[in-house]
Amino acid sequence: MKGCAGVDFTFTKKEEKFRGELRGWLEVNLPKGWLAGDRKLPEDHEQYSQFLRDWQRTLYEGGWAAISWPKEYGGRDATLMEEIIYHQEMVRVQSPPLVNYIGIHMVAPTLMQMGTDEQKDEFIEKILTGEQVWSQGYSEPGAGSDLTALQTTAVKKDGKWVINGQKVWTSFAHLADRCFLLTKTSQSEKKHEGITVFLLDMDQEGVETRPIVQMDGHQEFNEVYLTDAIATDADIVGEEGKGWAVLIALMLHERSGIAAQVFTLEQQFDSVIELAKTIRVNGTPLIEDPFVEDGLADLHARINGAKLNYYRNITHTLKNGKPGAESSLDKLLVSELTKEVFDFAMTIQGHAGVLTKDDALFDGEMQRQYLASFGATIGGGTSEVQRNTIGERILGLPKDLGR
Amino acid sequence: MDFALSEEQELFRTAIRKYMNNLNGTEAARAVIDGKLDVVASAASGLAEMGVTAIPVSEESDGLGLGALDLVPVFEETGRVLLPGSQLETLALAVPLLESFGTPAQKAARLPDVAAGASTMSVAWYEKGTSLFPNSFCCVAAKTENGYALTGTKTLVPVIGEPDVFITGAQTAEGKSLFLVKASDLASVRLLSALDETQQLAEVTFDAAPGELLGEPGNAAEMMKHGLLHFNAALCSSMVGGMDELVKMTAEYAKIRVQFNQPIGRFQAIKHGIVNMKLDLETARSLSYYAAWTVETDAVDKVSAVHSARSFISKAYIKAAGDSIQIHGGIGFTEELDVQLFLKRARYYENYFGSVRDSRKTAAHALGWHSVSATRDAIPVS
Repeated sequence: MKGCAGVDFTFTKKEEKFRGELRGWLEVNLPKGWLAGDRKLPEDHEQYSQFLRDWQRTLYEGGWAAISWPKEYGGRDATLMEEIIYHQEMVRVQSPPLVNYIGIHMVAPTLMQMGTDEQKDEFIEKILTGEQVWSQGYSEPGAGSDLTALQTTAVKKDGKWVINGQKVWTSFAHLADRCFLLTKTSQSEKKHEGITVFLLDMDQEGVETRPIVQMDGHQEFNEVYLTDAIATDADIVGEEGKGWAVLIALMLHERSGIAAQVFTLEQQFDSVIELAKTIRVNGTPLIEDPFVEDGLADLHARINGAKLNYYRNITHTLKNGKPGAESSLDKLLVSELTKEVFDFAMTIQGHAGVLTKDDALFDGEMQRQYLASFGATIGGGTSEVQRNTIGERILGLPKDLGR
Repeated sequence: MDFALSEEQELFRTAIRKYMNNLNGTEAARAVIDGKLDVVASAASGLAEMGVTAIPVSEESDGLGLGALDLVPVFEETGRVLLPGSQLETLALAVPLLESFGTPAQKAARLPDVAAGASTMSVAWYEKGTSLFPNSFCCVAAKTENGYALTGTKTLVPVIGEPDVFITGAQTAEGKSLFLVKASDLASVRLLSALDETQQLAEVTFDAAPGELLGEPGNAAEMMKHGLLHFNAALCSSMVGGMDELVKMTAEYAKIRVQFNQPIGRFQAIKHGIVNMKLDLETARSLSYYAAWTVETDAVDKVSAVHSARSFISKAYIKAAGDSIQIHGGIGFTEELDVQLFLKRARYYENYFGSVRDSRKTAAHALGWHSVSATRDAIPVS
């Protein structure tokens, strides 16, 4: 039995070389002062937008913007393991966000798979360089977890598509040039039919973007109002009325998104440990309080468990080729744990936890993350939707009443 | 990186599961409740024939010389049916202790018999009113011409499967020391009423019982802590097996039980409850695999890995059993359904050789959380 494959946590020499190469590149190319801890992003909207576009341009020039893409499109044909290492390293240096995340990880791979030659020529390179930033227009006021209830319509008039409706929770829309837009082009008895995906040009009169202020004060989401916005046949992805299949294909391309969340959670937990080790009350570090130690040890076990689950699921994907519903399991665990970590981080600060920003411990990092954490179990599919998916697809329980 | 059991390990799992199915699942455990103890010995010899007892024994002692990971499928499958026996104590505690601290003569005298399934062992450790690692044992070992004579009382001693050797702790001049005592040298064995009736616990007394020193005298706690890393990794697998069966049973029931004209698994209150059990199960499985891997490879983080796993899984197993009873409704409260057996087993394991709190504390120390480097003062609060 011994000597054959089985549990093994080591990386290959090739993988370690890849890691070394990326590390070396980051040391030279991250924005000035970044590694030393100066990681403030510009507050001004225009400067913020430019900063992120510049960062993507830098990544592109170094060949690090889209490593999983095929070489012919400017990628590296990275293996899944290399993608994981990539996320590990990016989280380690807390790199600036990738402004064109949606374009690189979702839209472009989908176009490579099912786009027309014209669409490939027009969009893929611009996505890679950061010249064109993408958003995704899915949710609507009446279509959240039930995405098939969308009401935005596209109607053909004089050879053009006229689009009317409202999108919400559209991340990056205030920075975006294009939108991967879900519309209804015909009414059908079947909920998944009659949906069409457009590659909408955001720079037109019929598109109005209004930022939504989140509970943590940030403005990452938007409402997008579509009033006689115009698109053409050439903007349709796949077939008219078969947009649901396009959406499913797009979601499958996002194979390593959870990796960044797993490693971020680990890093965030380390910062809470740091808090518990360094903050003293009556001269004693918080960690010496058995309540604090016990709670953190419990969280540590479960966070480690979530990471190991992810590794187990990757192993499964590597062996079987395709990711399964297990990604719902990873997402659910990681997002719920993120909430719990910062909930506990607030608790152990005592009454000092009511302060924020520069007046709070750790410059208010825990307060910021605590508020932000509430979005984690809602965005990208609520925890309830994930539980339905796990229950039905992994455990084989009967379909939900609404389906 | 590869985080899955090997093909051989999975094949072995299939073989063990088949054998457990032949024993009709929890029938052996239920037989013990009815006082029919023959099944314990026959199941043990069946496992020995499959080579299970040889797994952790080194090749020099006629074993297979395999590691903690190879025991994972074994204990998951025996845990799934709550197989009564002393496999955990023998293979995951006594064998690692003998392999690590036994003299060549002690190994030669004991391990080949264990590997062949001819000998099983248990541990007589606890004393009344003391914690897992007391400052000293009440049970004393007096030096004699050719060894030691042990006198005292031990409690909560697992005696199912009639183990022929006990590893025990007794006080010597050097401190707490480990000894091997033959079952035939016990002065008395009084069975105790166990909440988990598929177990047999006893209070045993030594009256100048001949004891064979194991390892350095005065070193019992350290040796035991080492042995318990192996034991806890295996115990975790056993608990994962039980949790897996609970999730399976509960999900199957939710598919067939109809209320309000629906299978109850369609209702999110039920569905999400079972999914939460599944989440804990997968976390438990990952932690247990990793714990076994760190033990097998003697990884630097083995203490935190094992105790993280143990602390999480002990609690999660109890919760899974409780949730399963609730989801089953009235039938879940009955003796007839197996769920109650799992609940009682989960309780039996909760504090077995260490509590959740103990494990969390051990993990926190192993992770270096108490080695404080820089400190800063908190914002004053009244």
